Amino acid sequence: MALQRDDWLDVARKVDWTYRYVDEREVFPESMSGTPWLPQQAWKDWNEVYRTTYREYVRNQRAKDDALMGARSALSKVSILERLDPGWIQLVKFHQGTFALAEYAAVVAEQRMARFGRDSAWRTMATLGALDETRHGQIPLLMGHDMLPFDGNFDWTHKAYHTNEWLIIAARHLFDDMFLATNAVDLAIQLNFVLETGFTNIQFMAMAAMADRASHHLFEKALASIQTDEARHGQIGHPVLRTLIDNGAKEHAQYLVDKMWWRCWRLFLALTGSSMDYHVPLSARGRSYKEFMQEWIIEQFTKNLAEFSLARPWFWDLFIEELDYAQHSFQLGLYAYRTTLWFDVAMPNADERRWLSEKYPDWNKIYGPIWDTLERRWQQEGEGSTLAYTLPPLCNLCQLPTLFMRPGKNTACTREISGRKYVFCSEPCRWIFEKELSRFAGHTSVVDRIVAGATPGNLPDLLKWMGLQAPNETGKDLRRGLDRWRLEPVPKV
Amino acid sequence: MPSVVYLFGFMSDDFVGRFLVTPSDQTIERLAEQLMSWGWNPEAGGPYRVTNEAGIVLDRRITIAQAGLCSGDLFNVDRG
Repeated sequence: MALQRDDWLDVARKVDWTYRYVDEREVFPESMSGTPWLPQQAWKDWNEVYRTTYREYVRNQRAKDDALMGARSALSKVSILERLDPGWIQLVKFHQGTFALAEYAAVVAEQRMARFGRDSAWRTMATLGALDETRHGQIPLLMGHDMLPFDGNFDWTHKAYHTNEWLIIAARHLFDDMFLATNAVDLAIQLNFVLETGFTNIQFMAMAAMADRASHHLFEKALASIQTDEARHGQIGHPVLRTLIDNGAKEHAQYLVDKMWWRCWRLFLALTGSSMDYHVPLSARGRSYKEFMQEWIIEQFTKNLAEFSLARPWFWDLFIEELDYAQHSFQLGLYAYRTTLWFDVAMPNADERRWLSEKYPDWNKIYGPIWDTLERRWQQEGEGSTLAYTLPPLCNLCQLPTLFMRPGKNTACTREISGRKYVFCSEPCRWIFEKELSRFAGHTSVVDRIVAGATPGNLPDLLKWMGLQAPNETGKDLRRGLDRWRLEPVPKV
Repeated sequence: MPSVVYLFGFMSDDFVGRFLVTPSDQTIERLAEQLMSWGWNPEAGGPYRVTNEAGIVLDRRITIAQAGLCSGDLFNVDRG
């Protein structure tokens, strides 16, 4: 008689054994398994809430992929894409470029836990997680491929992480730190606990809701399908965190949470914040990025912290303050430096400005005059006068421009170490950098490389170095495009 | 012999810091004007003050070197 699922699953999940020929520390070296190193006995109560067998996994994933492929065959026609809002198309291009290959990096992360996680149930979950992340890389790559006949820049879905484009360097810096250059314990807290139970909700659930309202139903279904996987393997983080805290490593756990919260906040405001508040068509917006953050991230994450008696990150007040302005400064930065991007950037129109003022009461006072100036300059002097020609300082931790300032407050700061000056966009970025000097101090930002002469200092050569072919491949004003002269062939004698 | 330094300037009515390369014997006033000319509101006049990272107000008549600014330092220009 065949055993029922519940008769064998617990036995199959827990197959840790005592090693006779090698030491446990050799099987699970601290450098790969994580700190503090604890004997297996300390991990024996590691349990995931929702248990899955491999058979169930395959059946569920096959059903999800069937549904997605069915939607793809019906909804990926160019005629359907042509009806999408132009701003939405740019948002998707931005999303695909920054997430598709990051998901492949997450495969490596899950596989590291599948080998070096300290309990077999954890390793089993991570094995399924690696399969999930493979799927999460494949789905956007396929969708990006389907969109190529509509817009050739969708090749950045695959290409982006193979370039030196500055925004991609910032994303790569974070994902290298979080996914690739770390051990199983830190991965579980950084990737599973902070990113997947925190920030991916906004990227995959809130964005899916917007995709539905923007009539991009294939994108909606892809995001929602991905998020169901994230929710399952995201639960790896909780029991790892519990084990650390129960074994006297609360301080280390708090540091990892604080560090990755800030790093995720920085990257997500750049990718998701500016997209939600500026590129989603007005009819599909509903809530602002700040409102989504408050409802979907802050509320839930605060509950998670309380569950483990962890404190809110020490920079919480700055984070809350930044919800009102960081993504707006960043959008201005994207706009002014749009020729260094692979997607087009929106200048908010009158209706969008009204919406922004409703959602952010200080928006018009702080950002309205700058957009007014850009508008006036375009009308009077043309496109060229709306571009920035100076280099922005790039943060030596997050690699983003130091543009999180507003009247009366400049959060940028510096630090000199061994004769080298470093600049940071904010105190939390400097704090993380100082905590892990040996990890970060050797890296050079794009601006550092330009100063050292290692990277071209003139724009045409710099764009080539970043993998961008101007002007066709580089970002434009979403609604105005390029000045005509930039597309006309150079006259010949 | 004046040297060339690179500095990071932040103006209160701008949204991004700006990278400037300038001789160290340039005055603070000239440095601030250079930053303002690169910003979004170069024609706006009016009073302003220049501070270093520690918040110390810098005398506009002295040079960058005399003000103690070296390569990689940041400074702020606050209008109004």
